[in-house]
Amino acid sequence: MQRILVVDPERCTGCRLCEAACSLFKEKKCAPEHARVQVTKWENQGIYIPIVCQQCETPICEVVCPMHAIKRDSNTNAIVIDENTCVGCRLCAQFCPIGGISIDENASRLIKCDLCSGDPVCVEFCQPEALKHIEPLKLGTMKKRTAAEKYSEYLRKTLDTH
Amino acid sequence: MWNRKIAIVDLSAKTVTAKPIPREIRKKYLGGRGLNMYLLYNHLQPNVDPLGPENLLLVGSGLLAGIPCLGSGRCDIAAKSPLTGAVGDSNIGGFFAPELRLAGYDHVAITGKADSPSYLLLKDGAIEIKDASHLWGKDTFDTQEALRRDEHDEKLVSLVIGVAGENLVRYANVRTGMKNAAGRTGMGCVMGSKNLKAIAARGTTPIEFADPDNLLRYCREMNEMITSTRWAKAQSRWGTMIIYSNTNTTGLIRTRNFQLNRLVDGEDLEPENIDRYSIGTSGCFGCAVHCRHRYVLKEGPYAPLYGEGPEYTSLGAFGTMLDCRKMETILVANHLVNKYGLDTLETGGLIAWAMELYEKGLINEESTDGLQLKWGNEDVVFDLIRKIAYREGFGDTLADGFKPAIAKVGTDSEYYAIHVKGMSNLHSDERPTPSFALGIATSTRGADHLRSRPAIDMYGLPENMLKEIYGGSVATDYSSYDGKSRMVWWQERLYAVTDALGVCKFQTVFCAVHAPKWREFSTLINLATGMTITEDELMRVGERIYTLERLFNLREGFSRQDDSLPDRYFTEPTPIGLPVAKGKKIDREKFDAMLTEYYDLHGWNLQGVPKSETLKDLNLSKEPSKLF
Amino acid sequence: MSEVRCLNCLKRFTVHSQVKEASCPHCKTKYRISWPTPNQAKVRGLA
Repeated sequence: MQRILVVDPERCTGCRLCEAACSLFKEKKCAPEHARVQVTKWENQGIYIPIVCQQCETPICEVVCPMHAIKRDSNTNAIVIDENTCVGCRLCAQFCPIGGISIDENASRLIKCDLCSGDPVCVEFCQPEALKHIEPLKLGTMKKRTAAEKYSEYLRKTLDTH
Repeated sequence: MWNRKIAIVDLSAKTVTAKPIPREIRKKYLGGRGLNMYLLYNHLQPNVDPLGPENLLLVGSGLLAGIPCLGSGRCDIAAKSPLTGAVGDSNIGGFFAPELRLAGYDHVAITGKADSPSYLLLKDGAIEIKDASHLWGKDTFDTQEALRRDEHDEKLVSLVIGVAGENLVRYANVRTGMKNAAGRTGMGCVMGSKNLKAIAARGTTPIEFADPDNLLRYCREMNEMITSTRWAKAQSRWGTMIIYSNTNTTGLIRTRNFQLNRLVDGEDLEPENIDRYSIGTSGCFGCAVHCRHRYVLKEGPYAPLYGEGPEYTSLGAFGTMLDCRKMETILVANHLVNKYGLDTLETGGLIAWAMELYEKGLINEESTDGLQLKWGNEDVVFDLIRKIAYREGFGDTLADGFKPAIAKVGTDSEYYAIHVKGMSNLHSDERPTPSFALGIATSTRGADHLRSRPAIDMYGLPENMLKEIYGGSVATDYSSYDGKSRMVWWQERLYAVTDALGVCKFQTVFCAVHAPKWREFSTLINLATGMTITEDELMRVGERIYTLERLFNLREGFSRQDDSLPDRYFTEPTPIGLPVAKGKKIDREKFDAMLTEYYDLHGWNLQGVPKSETLKDLNLSKEPSKLF
Repeated sequence: MSEVRCLNCLKRFTVHSQVKEASCPHCKTKYRISWPTPNQAKVRGLA
């Protein structure tokens, strides 16, 4: 079954375990700047939003790539860059609307989430479940449940049930 | 990580040098508090003025900074304390330590005094002393925001002081983020005395580890180990405030300074009530527990207000000790001390003392410049917090801490001052718990729970389990004195190592029994650094750090007499509480015997002086030695 | 179902899911209970 990486900023605690774990797995180092997922923060307001490639259905990175080096991996559903074909024009990083592809400090390497061959390490480390790797249908169910819970509280009060 | 250096900064001479940290010193002291203590003891002349340019301010990331578990973002700040004259040392979470390490440094040693307000910027190997005139007078939140703006870098992480540090309040703290504080012993005051408003770090140099694949796997195990404990689950939900549920219910919490041991009608301070204000929780770097709340006050004279916490300590500091019974009072007071950069425990402890003096008629409105220091008067509390930070009127009297304030107000006031070595105790009442009482008496930085508190003593654990943990016989009953010296000795060493590794104390054996400790730490060290340090050696590292702190204090004139408790612990029995906690006081003779036992376990003589064979065994005979 | 430790006699006792009050069967101390997780109870205060 196909799964998608879902971000729920309301659950994020800003701990950056995802960044530390991602870079340790992919880079073998603690290198938050090279982490595929990174948390953007408004610290003085307590707002934390993890940003990671959404593996778009119509990936702009794929569209703009002049070398056709960007393709979907049918096993993981991740959009991946074929390093052998890539010429490093960086158009993908520039055109991605959500910063899903980073360029390293030497401008020599593109850094992008590949869903860790199907089991994203960031998800394993995210204790509050701000990052989830779930079946697409579950997202809708989950969101509906969250919304319904608010109504159910109201109903419980008015109907006085338990 | 081995290429990380120590930066040596002389603010008077405006010079900066960098040195490698030798492996043999790493092995003896690890990093963080351990290495800071090595640097402090060996590089500071005895008996200097803590506010003089010669005091040495040390900032050090823990040895494990940057690993994805156990809240590995902790940083240790040390100097000679301007509050106590003893070891000054305070540990801070947040995100500074990993950022410092990413900037290429593990430790920063700062001496001298800048001739005008300055900040230090460490960025990918480069270090600059920069002008901070425009930041002077700003609160701790705005200062961090301004630094990010000035440096055009939203990921810049800073340690800053507020106006309390600028005004040399002797318990001003150092802060980072909205909530994290190196709270105790006045490290912010030392920064203020050096005209140092902030230390900012930013780096993109990856931190390398010895065995990354196994480290990743093991870190995940560690996170699971801690988050599966009952303690962590409750802490994830309501933060350290959950301790209040146990201590206030039992009767272990100082109320009206030291008059009662439970806040009656204190339901509004129950941790569950934070839900009314919370928008979610927040975690330090690498933390799966996320113990603090992000709270918003939408109504009332202080709204709108965003803050983080409050900790259990603030429930006491601005709640029970002052007889303030509303959660909102705590949220506002917590925000104010954080904004000004004041230690919550010291501030609350001093205000509680002043309120009792006011009640007893030892001070009056003439001495308090009109403030009616009545129990529960929250407006006066808020006002006094500001006055302390700005050293206005009676606030100036309190801004120097207990010993100078007692001298000013009069010796009659001393009986009411709940401090050890000049540092306020937190709001816990240790009369029913001899192990806790011993720990605050022996703590090298003055009355404090984070040096040794064996919180698991409260659980009535079976003797065989206690024996297995502590390596000797310890009584199950927390009101007993038997074996409690062993508990304190063991915890002192564990917490010293925890602070040296830069992981969170809540993620070791503090409140949770089945949490990572020696064996797990030894494994993490090996996977992260390649060093092999056995469990036994690690305990010796803890002993070495603690003994060095002891040597520092002895050199500064402290002795066995200072390892004691306020008289009230021995004379006044607890008036209320559950049967288990009511009518308890500390027995002087048993306490003394316990102290002697404790010295003996450390290998110190009857006066608390480390024996020469102990120093030899710990490889401390050749100290002081120099790194720079 | 969950367990809490009595703060007076320190013995553990069972509490039923989502109850708001419970008494220690050993020493009879009565507590208010809260639930940090659906499966884990804690003492909130005295009842």
